[in-house]
Amino acid sequence: MRRVTTRATPPSPIGESVPRRDGIAKVTGAARFTSDLSVPGMAWAKILRSPYPHARISSIDTAAALALPGVIAAVSAADLADVELYYGHALADHPLIAHGVVRYGGEPVVGIVAEDPATAEEALALVSVEYDPLPVVTTVEAALAPGAPILHEREAEQRPQRGFEEAIERDHPNVCSSSTQRWGDIDAAFAGADLVVEGDFRYPISYAYAMEPYTAIAHWSDGGLTVWSSCQHPFMVRDDLARCFHLPLSAVRVIVPYVGGGYGSKSYTKIEPLTAALALRADRPVKLALSIEESILTTRGDGAVVHIASAFDGDGRLRGRRAEILLNTGAYAENSPLVGRKAANRICGPYRIPAVDVTCRAIYTNTSPASSFRGFGAPQGIFAGESQMDEAAERLGIDPLEIRRRNVVRPGEALWSKARGMDADLDADLLLAADALAWDTPARPGRGRAICISASDAGSEPVTTSLLRVHADGSVTVTVGSTEIGQGSSTVLAQIAAAEMDLPLDRVHLLQSDTTAASYDRSTGASRTTTLVGLAIQAAARDARSQLLEWARDALAGGGTVEPAKGGVLVAGVHHDWGAIVRAWFAGAGGEVVGRGYLRRAGSMTAMPPFWEIGCVGAEVSVDEETGQIRVERLVTVGDVGCAINPQLVESQDVGAAIMGLGIALSEELVYTPEGSLLNGNLVEYRVPRASDIPPFTAILAERGDGVGVYGAKGGGEGALNPVAAAVANAVRRATGIRLHEAPFTPERVWRALRERDPGREGDG
Amino acid sequence: MRETVELSLVVNGRAHPIRVEPRETLADVLRERLGLTGLKISCDVQVCGACTVLVDGLAISACTYLAADAEGHEVTTVEGLARAGQLSPLQQSFIDAAAFQCGFCTPGMRMAATALLAENPAPTRAQVVAGIEGNICRCTGYVPIIDAILEAAGAVDAAGVSEGAR
Amino acid sequence: MIPPFALARPASVSEAIATFADAGQDAAWYAGGTELLQVMKMGLARFGTLIDLKGLPELRGIAVDASGALVIGGAVTHREIERSSIVGRELPGLVGLEAHVANVRVRNQGTIGGNLCFAEPHSDPATFLLACDAHVELWGAGGARELPIDGFFLEPFVTARTPDEILLAIVIPKAAAGEGRAYEKAKFRERPAVSVAVRLRVAGDAIVEAVVAVGSMTDIPVRVPEAGTALAGAPADPSALGAPLAAGAEAMAELDAVGDLDGSADFKRHLAGVLLRSATRAALSEAIARA
Repeated sequence: MRRVTTRATPPSPIGESVPRRDGIAKVTGAARFTSDLSVPGMAWAKILRSPYPHARISSIDTAAALALPGVIAAVSAADLADVELYYGHALADHPLIAHGVVRYGGEPVVGIVAEDPATAEEALALVSVEYDPLPVVTTVEAALAPGAPILHEREAEQRPQRGFEEAIERDHPNVCSSSTQRWGDIDAAFAGADLVVEGDFRYPISYAYAMEPYTAIAHWSDGGLTVWSSCQHPFMVRDDLARCFHLPLSAVRVIVPYVGGGYGSKSYTKIEPLTAALALRADRPVKLALSIEESILTTRGDGAVVHIASAFDGDGRLRGRRAEILLNTGAYAENSPLVGRKAANRICGPYRIPAVDVTCRAIYTNTSPASSFRGFGAPQGIFAGESQMDEAAERLGIDPLEIRRRNVVRPGEALWSKARGMDADLDADLLLAADALAWDTPARPGRGRAICISASDAGSEPVTTSLLRVHADGSVTVTVGSTEIGQGSSTVLAQIAAAEMDLPLDRVHLLQSDTTAASYDRSTGASRTTTLVGLAIQAAARDARSQLLEWARDALAGGGTVEPAKGGVLVAGVHHDWGAIVRAWFAGAGGEVVGRGYLRRAGSMTAMPPFWEIGCVGAEVSVDEETGQIRVERLVTVGDVGCAINPQLVESQDVGAAIMGLGIALSEELVYTPEGSLLNGNLVEYRVPRASDIPPFTAILAERGDGVGVYGAKGGGEGALNPVAAAVANAVRRATGIRLHEAPFTPERVWRALRERDPGREGDG
Repeated sequence: MRETVELSLVVNGRAHPIRVEPRETLADVLRERLGLTGLKISCDVQVCGACTVLVDGLAISACTYLAADAEGHEVTTVEGLARAGQLSPLQQSFIDAAAFQCGFCTPGMRMAATALLAENPAPTRAQVVAGIEGNICRCTGYVPIIDAILEAAGAVDAAGVSEGAR
Repeated sequence: MIPPFALARPASVSEAIATFADAGQDAAWYAGGTELLQVMKMGLARFGTLIDLKGLPELRGIAVDASGALVIGGAVTHREIERSSIVGRELPGLVGLEAHVANVRVRNQGTIGGNLCFAEPHSDPATFLLACDAHVELWGAGGARELPIDGFFLEPFVTARTPDEILLAIVIPKAAAGEGRAYEKAKFRERPAVSVAVRLRVAGDAIVEAVVAVGSMTDIPVRVPEAGTALAGAPADPSALGAPLAAGAEAMAELDAVGDLDGSADFKRHLAGVLLRSATRAALSEAIARA
């Protein structure tokens, strides 16, 4: 690990790679995930899924299934008249179970609840469903063709969703959502250009493969609903459950145990409403544990078709960028309206562009619903935009590093009107990556190198709270709504609380991810936790400390002077720790002070986004021209995170994100036939990176204290994924002369591009 | 009534008399009947390694191994590696290197590493890579896992994380 | 979830065959289970009885018989082959192959006999053994018989073995003086995209005999006689094989390749030509060393 630091030295234990809080539980196997839990009296659910990608359901007969001993309930939409079937935080278009029509192969049609999973599975075969098949579209092109089958006849309720305020313009009924980003005189920008590069790029439908499949347990009791779920956003899930089941928010409790991977795929609501509906009808606690095959059918990343043109001056300065992005969003909106919004923003790159005209439309198709996936609209457009930066550099005879240096915005400069000024030093980041790749020395023959950079408007919305309780022994409990999904929030947030309260780390404990017991947080995603929840904890700590000062004055100094001191106060030269103040104020052995921290769109959080997340990646590759296999010889990431609260965890995020990006660059793609069959919906055929795929890696952390968060921190965790596909493609170009327009860069795609480069080369054999 | 068989399943050195259907997998019996939930079910097709346990010291996928076949053999799960509250060298090195994030692959990864080191106590980096090639980690990019295994083997890799896998 | 079945554990081959006869059509042989349990779990197959062959001493062990042939019991695991010093000495190419079959867990559990009888078109051993002129020993209700492995695979997941027959052993002839055997594959995901095996014999300074097999490309692993013919008579000099290899690759390009997620038929034919080159060179180098 390399750390390049120009920030002020923060208080301990900030900046220290303290061991993970969840370490012992996870290495001993003691950590409990939702899939490991059971509730007394619990029954098991299995789901009958549609074999058709698009069909009307003409009849459902569950009598034979219900007659099987051990079966408790068989539930279809017809059994849920008292439930609001349609959910969705941006567009409420998604029925929790198929309602008259199925829109993708694998959509839930009937849920069976039985005493054990084997019986539930056996009962599935006894349900008979008749379908009237409908025409199918699986690509955005087919879905937008005149006369294409229409997926949603019903107008879905658009729900107020911060981050997606725009009215949806539908020039075709299969448009799920639309977003634009426009400024400047685009026609003039292109008319006066010395160079225009234009092209089409395709980004695959990908699968996050969180190793723990979607799992939930729902338990109705005492007039309320408790759900344990492997999810990232318990409060958003709570809100959807309350709406579906007509409950007050306070009657719904969502608890998140350890989560076996998320990467965005467990953001927002997934199987929780269905599990709760089955538990309601079964009148039993119900566990629904999907298989990985079923999880693949539940959510995946948006595929994209991008048409893009960039106009340059002769010296390589960007004059304008036009882009049209079509996202293959699948059968339901899920989070794609927000993904589309972000895609439209992020395709502009971290560059000063006088004129921009970008449209992004999310398109319904008869494929599984797309939602958030790490990077969130960024990699789709950055693959296209960063490919064009290299293309322009090549055609203008400018070094690819230099063309980026000429165009990146400077610290404080806004990418677009009213946006937060750039809180990063992009030029310095580029130079760090270049240095690690030895950019100034020529690559060995047969090798190519590239550096790509991106900026994402990250952090989602600043809606976060925290309670910090100082107990009578001076130890601290912090409650936050943020979820530990593996990113290390339980460690990093404890470090922040310990630093803010001047306490050793082992005096701080966290309570997370329980909508009743912990305090509100909007979501765990968009790299926001360290920055936004960190600020809420800091505010709570300051609130607690100010109360403690007051109490010390009152109870220890007789209204006289107290002096703040490390971990407590000085009264007439005598140190009293936090616990002593609490005990004195309550005049006994017990009591506690409660500090409150709120973060909202005000003060330092007025300008959006809350922070910019930078992706800066260098790659060196070679290509086996006989097999078309790309070998990545080195990957470099620069994590521009302001202040690494726990450097080891930040580095692990960057390495993990870049390797995830490498998987999509090289092999990951869910393949649908035009008829709507998914050809590789399993881990045998969907290949994610293995240990042997990992290239030599240089992870650099740049810490300049320029983030809005505590000690100058800002988010990380997604950035390193975003430029990887572009960096690999550009490096392949430099190694071989071929330009790749479609990810993943499979051996056959590379081989075909090589054949086009050398027409007539080898008689093919 | 389906056929069942009576087994004496020896897990982590302890014999468990248990009656199972022949079709029950070792993973289901360990997790649902014996409460040993350390091993995880993910891909369920012997690809990911989350359900790795040892049978007579050999790593197998418990998701596709009949519990009945474990009769007469020694099964070791992640729960069997802790020694009286003392972290093993591998456990300690996994923590030191932060060789996990979500932790879902970790029990299986640890079992794979245990089998690897039992067979080859001083592996090279390439041998470690080969040894965990069949275990997927989706969080870490493998680099800290490889480092942790080398560290536990006593082969402290001074270059650390920057070496990558190759 | 695996559908219910009864598990039989015969102690000998004859007892196993009697058990099969009693169970009738509804029985299946069961060894490592890495393929069988998987397809049963996926609902693609259902059997009333699984007859476990792992405990049968007749199916265990790796040995060299009186003729010098390598004999590998049907229930020997991939891992046992990978770690066998006998195989390492007699057929080093098989050790290298086995070390890269699936993953270590599958290799610890899965058996060579199960692999061949399952007849997955992407099987690594099938393709190599095809070039090595191996044969399989079968024993069923009608008694024992031997079948050359060339012709054993009939179509994907179908072999010439009758359901009641057990694959007792695989027999691989001893390499003649000057003979080399090699296996190369291109692999992009769990199974090979294409694999090529070459067995050739050199005498003096020429290749006098060559057999080429290709797997994961056509619907079953096949020999490509034209490719073998192209190599026979070529100089035993890796740098002088351009024309014979090109002719061999052309023979590969005539095959009825099946495109899949790893690549189109065209791409697979191309890869087969590439692999033919590397497998031929490897086999030649072993042959020269043994000459």
